[in-house]
Amino acid sequence: MPILRLFIILAIQVLIINHIHLCGYITPLLIGYVIIGARKGTSHVLLLLFGFLTGFLFDVFSNTAGMAAASMTLLAMVLPLLIRLYAPRDSDDLFMPTIISIGMFRYWTYSLLCMFVLHAMFYVLDAFSLHDWQLTLLSIAGSSLFASVLCVIAELLIRKRCG
Amino acid sequence: MWGGLFDFLFKYKHWLVFILLEAVSLVGLFSTGGYQKSVYFTTANSVVGSAYSTISSITSYLNLVSVNRELETENEKLRIENVNLRSRLRLANTDTMALNSQLNDYNIVVAQVVNFTLHKSANLMTINKGRADGIKPEMGVVCSRGVVGVVYLTSEHYAIVIPLLNVNCRISCSLRSSECFGTLEWKRGNTRSTYATGFPRHSKIRKGEIMETNGYSDIFPPGIPIGKVGCINNSEDGMSYRIRVDLFANFETLRDVGIITDYIHQERRDLEQSVEETEEK
Repeated sequence: MPILRLFIILAIQVLIINHIHLCGYITPLLIGYVIIGARKGTSHVLLLLFGFLTGFLFDVFSNTAGMAAASMTLLAMVLPLLIRLYAPRDSDDLFMPTIISIGMFRYWTYSLLCMFVLHAMFYVLDAFSLHDWQLTLLSIAGSSLFASVLCVIAELLIRKRCG
Repeated sequence: MWGGLFDFLFKYKHWLVFILLEAVSLVGLFSTGGYQKSVYFTTANSVVGSAYSTISSITSYLNLVSVNRELETENEKLRIENVNLRSRLRLANTDTMALNSQLNDYNIVVAQVVNFTLHKSANLMTINKGRADGIKPEMGVVCSRGVVGVVYLTSEHYAIVIPLLNVNCRISCSLRSSECFGTLEWKRGNTRSTYATGFPRHSKIRKGEIMETNGYSDIFPPGIPIGKVGCINNSEDGMSYRIRVDLFANFETLRDVGIITDYIHQERRDLEQSVEETEEK
């Protein structure tokens, strides 16, 4: 199931979202969505490998040469921390941060945080200088915001379908 | 000593994996600076792409026979669907005979003209709906543009209509702009126009005015257009006007007609008939 979701989201990302350039600098990375719904007890190493693989696949199809792989790996690294931040104190290892388990608004802030980590790394690597740092910041902020909204929409669609 | 190291490594294995993966990513990123190096990484795309196109060209070649068959059946289906849709479109078009809003209040049975003569003086038209569809003699027949004629005879599934282009056809008509009324009479020959007689001399008639049914008979509801006033002449006895009416309905290409099935008022008909009977006595 996560593999299927990975390929669907990768296809949407590569075929559609990669061609969106809002205001010329906002291009969200929806691929982050495939790992932010991980269970609290998921092995950290597995998460890292899965994140790297997703990023790598994105790189291959978007000619971004390791940027997304590095960003997704970073996101996978901090993800358990973020999940623990949003998980209830008494939750078990099977806890998943979803729109149902933590509510719409909290899910949105959670995905915004995740997307911020992802896009920060991605756009910093993309610019790789402080020369145009305002634009980089705008890209990071705008894309994170956009991507988090997309995450909420995707979550709504998926949870609705699953009942 | 070694055990401690392994414990340490195991405990922080995710850090090791993280550093390793980041290193791989960044090496990938920074080693693709030049053109030669970037080709190496971007060919991943073209490798995938060419692999896909090769596979698809092979499978498409193998599938050509079944594809061809599918296309043929689909073609056939589309052809049938096309015919169906065309006929439905025609029905829909005639069904929406929005002559005016008055017609919407009546029940209209849509029929197709199956036989029609134009060259005789008593032209008749056969339509493909009959008693089984509720068609009765003396019902009004209209088309999308205006009046066509009156039902004359019915069989189970067909009906014969006396069109306006029949010297025996008499339909009461009036001008849209005035109360004056007359009768439509056709003269053999011209299939695009008929004549309206009996308009009093004092009536003001202008060319281009619309002639319509007036509801004096129980065949047509009032207000259904018939044609436009073409030219105005005196009648033979000089007591009234004789108006050429250019018909809206194009009888040469007429195919779809509608029969107004619920305008006949039996009560009115009975009453008028009883008057006639008492007069005869």
